[in-house]
Amino acid sequence: MNKTALIISREYLTRVKKKSFIILTLLVPLLFAALMAVPVLVATQTQEHANIMVVDDNEVFINNFKENDKLSFSYQSGNIEEIKKDALDGDYDAVLYLPKSTQKMVANLYYTEEPSMYLRSDLESQIDNIFFDKVLQDSFNINVNQYNTLKKLTQSEITMIQIDEKGEEKESMAELNKSIGMICGFFIYFFIFLFAGQVLRGVLEEKNNRIVEVLISSVKPIELLIGKIVGIALVGLTQFLMWIVLTVVILTGIQIATPNLIDKQAQIENAIEMSGDVQLSDLEETFDAESIFNEISNYFPISFTELILCFLFYFLTGYLIYSALFAAVGSASDNETDSNQLTMPLTMPLLLTIILIMPIADNPNGQLAFWMSIIPLTSPVAMLTRLPSGVPLWELLLSMVMMLLFFVFAVWFAAKVYRTGILMYGKKVTWKEIWRWLKY
Amino acid sequence: MNIIEVRQVSKKYSNYLALNDISLNIQKGVIYGLLGPNGAGKTTLIRILNQITAPDSGEVLFNGLPLNRKNIDKIGYLPEERGLYKKMKVGEEAMYLAQLKGLSQKEAVERLKHWFIKFGIQDWWERKVEELSKGMQQKLQFITTVIHEPEFLILDEPFSGLDPINTNLLKNEIHELKKRGTSIIISTHNMASVEEICDEICLINKANKILEGNLIEIKNQFKQNIFKISIRNENNDMDFPTDFSIIDQSKCNDINTYTVKLGQGMDANTLLQYCMKYGQINAFSEVLPSMNEIFIQQVENYNQEHQHE
Repeated sequence: MNKTALIISREYLTRVKKKSFIILTLLVPLLFAALMAVPVLVATQTQEHANIMVVDDNEVFINNFKENDKLSFSYQSGNIEEIKKDALDGDYDAVLYLPKSTQKMVANLYYTEEPSMYLRSDLESQIDNIFFDKVLQDSFNINVNQYNTLKKLTQSEITMIQIDEKGEEKESMAELNKSIGMICGFFIYFFIFLFAGQVLRGVLEEKNNRIVEVLISSVKPIELLIGKIVGIALVGLTQFLMWIVLTVVILTGIQIATPNLIDKQAQIENAIEMSGDVQLSDLEETFDAESIFNEISNYFPISFTELILCFLFYFLTGYLIYSALFAAVGSASDNETDSNQLTMPLTMPLLLTIILIMPIADNPNGQLAFWMSIIPLTSPVAMLTRLPSGVPLWELLLSMVMMLLFFVFAVWFAAKVYRTGILMYGKKVTWKEIWRWLKY
Repeated sequence: MNIIEVRQVSKKYSNYLALNDISLNIQKGVIYGLLGPNGAGKTTLIRILNQITAPDSGEVLFNGLPLNRKNIDKIGYLPEERGLYKKMKVGEEAMYLAQLKGLSQKEAVERLKHWFIKFGIQDWWERKVEELSKGMQQKLQFITTVIHEPEFLILDEPFSGLDPINTNLLKNEIHELKKRGTSIIISTHNMASVEEICDEICLINKANKILEGNLIEIKNQFKQNIFKISIRNENNDMDFPTDFSIIDQSKCNDINTYTVKLGQGMDANTLLQYCMKYGQINAFSEVLPSMNEIFIQQVENYNQEHQHE
């Protein structure tokens, strides 16, 4: 076997076989699936029927609570202390007490066993709605239906229409583009440092346990460097792939195991919508990924495939550049504390881009966004943040070419520093010193 | 035939000279001791032989041809600072290092099994390296150094940290390798082991070669006409003439042992003739200087001569 291939396979296999890698690979999709499925399961399964006694001193709510299969209400007036005792000793799960109030509505819920979150939010929204209707009626003399009509009539919405280079018009969703861009930016930042950091630690490990001398008496330093960087890149790609595949498998598994999950979810949505909590139902809608994918791609200036390809390109080149530079720094330092000092100037540009991610996302075609997406050390994050909002092709190509050119430079730099630094012990190296090694 | 010829090699680091115009020849099949105080330039020379660094000037020949990357698989190197991947399994690590030296997977397995059985560590194959004792790790490292049956072996302080049993095991292996025709260079500070196993030596001090040659010839070259004689005599009083100065004297039962330095123009026979008169001679031998003495004397002389440079 070719020696570089041998090094790649060692770097890859030792990391992939590690317990931490296996755990992280399995845990993240589980977490993902749990985040999507558990709220639904919890909401549908732990909810029990609740019997509620309402004591209303305002006489506004009597007979106005809506019942459903999870909730039933009884109404009584009189001394709250007596009713509370009798009701809780009897068949009731909770007593809702609304003392006399003219301004803001106050309510107490007495219970012996903690009721579900669903019960609480349902009661809260019902109280709000009933009180809202009453205030409308009393103060403005209009009913709810009139109010809703009025609201619809007076509400305006700007439709954003972007004209692309071919002159075609496309409705854009600037807010959505912005969030997708920022998420991509954060992800790429996180992954670049996660895996480039592994290269740094790998180089330090070899240097600290002195095996490096044996290794470079068998292979060229550059072979060792490339083997390590490529090996770890493959670890990263394996992890991505596993995450995607496993998430899909788990979600499909859940759907097959509980085919009525989606139905139940629709039920909850309906219940929530009925109770008027519109915001929550908006969030729940994202669960229906397919339709939202279609919807987004209709509005998107670039397609999902293009975005994913660009993500991969910037992740790979960004990772390669940073891992080469980190490897150089790792070879020049004796321990992690020293290396942190040397990596500072390298990580600053990317960190700065993360700090400036809001302004970039807000104005994806401004000066700041443009320059940061051209400069190689900042462009992986900056360009990914801009991409969903649409970037002129020439800017994208320029940025990519810059990345590739800088990558060549980074490898040249790393190779020079690495082969000197790797054999240097017990000396605190500065950037000035490293500069001198380039001339060897 | 020389396996290695170092020709006028110099190497300078930014602030000091590591090797100054060094030339030396290592014959095939010999054990060559590379000696010198700390910081003399030994490690730099070893790194040049390993092609880890390149000399600033001069050249190195391997089997008569300029040293190049293709020779790497013919050289085995045991560095002074031992290092292995601690988290890897012993077998996997040995396989990896063997394959890096150009062995095929099949060859590597076969040879490693042979060596593991020979060193009695076959049970360790599945264990992690970090579980091994220091001595065990050294054995493992030695195996990975010689697994590809190199023509030329570089051992930097091979005995450091080993117990007497393992030291002996390693010495036997080194002799075994020599018998099979391997040329070996040993860099060490342990002069006793130099005298025991080296055929030739080279002493480097402050980047310069100050002594080179056959071990026995060198010891003869520095001999100071000192002899050790044991005499059985009843009469304790033995008057040596002033030409014989007594360095050491001891008595065990009725045997007197003297270490005598002879003056100019005297030889062993004069001493023997003189002593025979006093009693029965029990033993007689010439005392050659130890490598330790030669080392210290040569380095100190050199440092005094070059003090003002």
